[in-house]
Amino acid sequence: MLDPTPKARVLIGKPGLDGHDRGAKYVAQVLRDAGFEVIYTGIRRSPEQIVEAAIQEDVAGIGLSLLSGAHNVLFKRVIDLLKERGASDIVVFGGGTIPPKDIPTLTAMGVKAVFTPGTPAKRIVETLDTLLAQPA
Amino acid sequence: MPYHGDIPNLIAQTASRGPASVRAAARLMSIVTDHPERVATMLAGATRWPQPRLVLGITGAPGSGKSTLTDQMAASFRARHPDRLLGILAVDPSSPFTGGAVLGDRVRMMRHATDPKVFIRSLASRGHLGGLALGARGVVRIMGLLGCDVVIIETVGVGQSEVEIAQNADLTVVVLAPGQGDSVQMLKAGLMEAGDVFVVNKADRPDAATLQANLLNMLKMGWMARVDLYHEELTCHGPQMLVAGQSADGGKALSSIPDLPLDAAAPPPVFLTSATNAQGIEPLVDHVESRAARDADAWRARRDTQITREVRDAVLESARKRIAHLIGRNGTSQATLAPVLEGRISVDELTDQLIRRALSDIDTTHRIQPT
Amino acid sequence: MSDSNLATNLKTSRDKYDAAVAKTLAKFPEQQKTFVSASGSPVERLYLPESDPRAAYTEQLGFPGQFPFTRGVQPTMYRGRFWTMRQYAGFATAEESNQRYKYLLGQGTTGLSVAFDLPTQIGYDSDDPESLGEVGKVGVAIDSLADMETLFDGIPLDKVSTSMTINSTAAILLAMYIVVGEKQGVTPEKLNGTIQNDILKEYIARGTYRFPPKPSLRLIADIFEYCTKEVPNWNTISISGYHIREAGSTAAQEIGFTLADAICYVETALKAGLKVDEFAPRLAFFFAAHSDLFEEVAKFRAARRLYARIMRERFNASDKSCMLRFHTQTGGVTLTAQQPDNNVVRVTIQALAAVLGGTQSLHTNSKDEALALPTEESVTVALRTQQIVAYESGVTNTIDPLAGSFFVEQLTDRLESEAKQYIEKIDAMGGMVAAIERGFVQKQIEESAYRFGQSIDSGERVIVGVNKFTSKKEPDIDLFEVPEATQKRQVDKLKSVKANRDANKVRAALSAVTEAARGDGNLMPPILDAVRAYCTVGEICRALEGVFGQYTESFN
Repeated sequence: MLDPTPKARVLIGKPGLDGHDRGAKYVAQVLRDAGFEVIYTGIRRSPEQIVEAAIQEDVAGIGLSLLSGAHNVLFKRVIDLLKERGASDIVVFGGGTIPPKDIPTLTAMGVKAVFTPGTPAKRIVETLDTLLAQPA
Repeated sequence: MPYHGDIPNLIAQTASRGPASVRAAARLMSIVTDHPERVATMLAGATRWPQPRLVLGITGAPGSGKSTLTDQMAASFRARHPDRLLGILAVDPSSPFTGGAVLGDRVRMMRHATDPKVFIRSLASRGHLGGLALGARGVVRIMGLLGCDVVIIETVGVGQSEVEIAQNADLTVVVLAPGQGDSVQMLKAGLMEAGDVFVVNKADRPDAATLQANLLNMLKMGWMARVDLYHEELTCHGPQMLVAGQSADGGKALSSIPDLPLDAAAPPPVFLTSATNAQGIEPLVDHVESRAARDADAWRARRDTQITREVRDAVLESARKRIAHLIGRNGTSQATLAPVLEGRISVDELTDQLIRRALSDIDTTHRIQPT
Repeated sequence: MSDSNLATNLKTSRDKYDAAVAKTLAKFPEQQKTFVSASGSPVERLYLPESDPRAAYTEQLGFPGQFPFTRGVQPTMYRGRFWTMRQYAGFATAEESNQRYKYLLGQGTTGLSVAFDLPTQIGYDSDDPESLGEVGKVGVAIDSLADMETLFDGIPLDKVSTSMTINSTAAILLAMYIVVGEKQGVTPEKLNGTIQNDILKEYIARGTYRFPPKPSLRLIADIFEYCTKEVPNWNTISISGYHIREAGSTAAQEIGFTLADAICYVETALKAGLKVDEFAPRLAFFFAAHSDLFEEVAKFRAARRLYARIMRERFNASDKSCMLRFHTQTGGVTLTAQQPDNNVVRVTIQALAAVLGGTQSLHTNSKDEALALPTEESVTVALRTQQIVAYESGVTNTIDPLAGSFFVEQLTDRLESEAKQYIEKIDAMGGMVAAIERGFVQKQIEESAYRFGQSIDSGERVIVGVNKFTSKKEPDIDLFEVPEATQKRQVDKLKSVKANRDANKVRAALSAVTEAARGDGNLMPPILDAVRAYCTVGEICRALEGVFGQYTESFN
């Protein structure tokens, strides 16, 4: 076996209070299978905890999963905190129960990709491959 | 992720301990873990870096409650030294098939995530040959530079490389829990030698006492065997001293005999804890602190010797990576290796060719990573 | 004809059939090499009688309303009365939710089912920083008794039965319900309803825990004891497999883990000094209904039989305590965001499974719930689905109509035995709390979820509209939105409650809660007093937390 060099480090986190972590865990496993190193934070994390973890872990991307409908508020808070910490180069993406009409709002605030239920794993991996491509 | 950050600048930022120091330290850590061959460059001047007072290894089987114990010990260190920084390095295995990993140690430690005095870093073992140990040692040095007083290295005690990492610590705690059929097997598999301190966690379980008794017994026997071995060594090397701990140099001379721990005066102690209920943590941390106070000088000396080995490892890793790049990854390696299989050239000849190519190929000298 | 003659006869015919199948397969292969259920278990081409069904009839099936209750818990089932049609609802503030409840009662629902928002479920007030973005989102925000009074304004509590999805803070919300009753002049013994109160599955799958297992179980035992004496018609717990299934378990894991939870609760109550037949008749269950019709029907039947046997064999309970009564919700995770109209069809099949499985009450999901909370229109269609099954399908005319199907009976046996194996494993670990702390249960579910996900991503399992028969068209659907200003309105209301209450009474009531938590008396009376003094959910939880501490998730 030659070096199985990991692709990139990604943090998968669940901000807010909802405990439905099936999707977050599945995406973490799919990304692992695709060669990413995934830092999994567990449920009920504050935006502050998520951003601090992302900086300490030097991840290329943060994936936020939320099913409670609090995405507009909490995704924004994560993006604002990243700005405050001078870490806006970290790519933010998200998924969960997100109505289509909220997607433009999230995109406008800087969320680079939104994966709603039923998105094939392959598409998530391909999107992240592009978004998180490391400079050669 | 821009890896090409200017290393001296990142080092200066980390050492400044200003608002940007956390990010700079995190970046440096990525450099040492992703490109251990660059550690040597980074280590220029590292002998003058501030070092942690204590580097504590914690290892044990999955399900032994290691992460919870780490979390509780971290809380105890924070309470004892409210003004000092604490570093945690959590190592989990990578998938051998894809190189990916899910690192979940933070789940149990999130309460420390917004504590500005705690720095947590998760590291995947990545199946590197020696690279992991090297990267982990680099991370610990950077934590020292950032000002960490105590660094905890938590690893899954399943593979050889994980055990090695734990042994890079000044002091290694091995965690066991009752109800795990494999506990005793794990001890047989080499963890017993790795431990300076043992913990029977989940001590509220009914069978904890049995495990503790078995463990004490095994440790005592192991210790006696090692003392015998030590006496044999003594007869070969001359009568310098009889028992470690009574020596004037804090036992440093003993460490030259392979695998004999610094403190060989008695078998390693066994502590009972129930990490989920925060019970038994304080006596354990008391013990660790007293060892740190007693052995600080010896540890420092050992770390100074280690840095030479780190440079050596970095050089080997750099050479390995460059050759590996020339061989190519799974898909492309066949063409390069075929002449050997076809009997046209020997392994030595191919190696010579690759080394010559590596030297002439200026490009690869700066090429960090084959993609 | 004797049994052995029958068997020989069957064997000969079977051989003939197999030969015919082989010929057919050579020309027309089947669509798949192997066929599996929604849970991934293999399904045979054909099921045959394994033995004469009459032989073990009384032992394995028995009669409806009789041990082991395989065929149902009531002697006449739906011929006597349909199941309770109960739609889970709640959002924004108490005013809006009160309106929705009145609408639902007007449309023919026969019971209320209250959805609380996450801060209420975990015990944070609406002005707590932890509540950021969550107030009123997945349910109604309740901070104090004042909100509860509004929530049930104009709804006589002696006329409805109310189910409340509340767990770590169940004691507080139940106390509020009792006090609202008092204010309406309804005495506690006339109150009817259910609190979910199932903390173990929160650690396993749903995540709204607050305190560690030990004090959480004590709260549950206190509720059992209090209600046995004071609120005798209240279902004190709804032991829930639903969320375990939602998190990705198989059907067998759903019932195995749920019944292992039940065993833990019964043991807790017995340890607290209660007698099994005092509280066990008030234990209720809650399962999911997914689209694999026969597997689901068999699951409900297996759960009833296994529970009855456990209660009799382990706890020496009377037959009345051996009855597994359950609520069903159609599977939330089976809903798709793509082509949402298809969800109506899925819900129909799932509702049918629940009814053929003998449910006591049912919630049918709305087609838009993969995207947002349901609109009033979509909730109405979901309710109509139940009504059509009840009034038009004819499946309610006889009891347990699938009994005796070779397939369903063998499935029932298999699910019972698989579930039993999980329970034995958990027993060997030292019970459910130990199994949760080790992460065993979570890991099992995670692995099943992963396998299921992979089977969809590989195309092996077809989900219509998702990985086959997809359409480019974005769904054109009006979605429900929780009003932007909800959090602000709720926080203002909370402020005015705090300004108008007697601060001394509040302080005294909260220290009484702390005191009681330190001791070992029943916590319900001091919590009731705190509620009467308009202490908030957050304040009471903080008082308890000061003594009990907080739970942290485990991850393997």
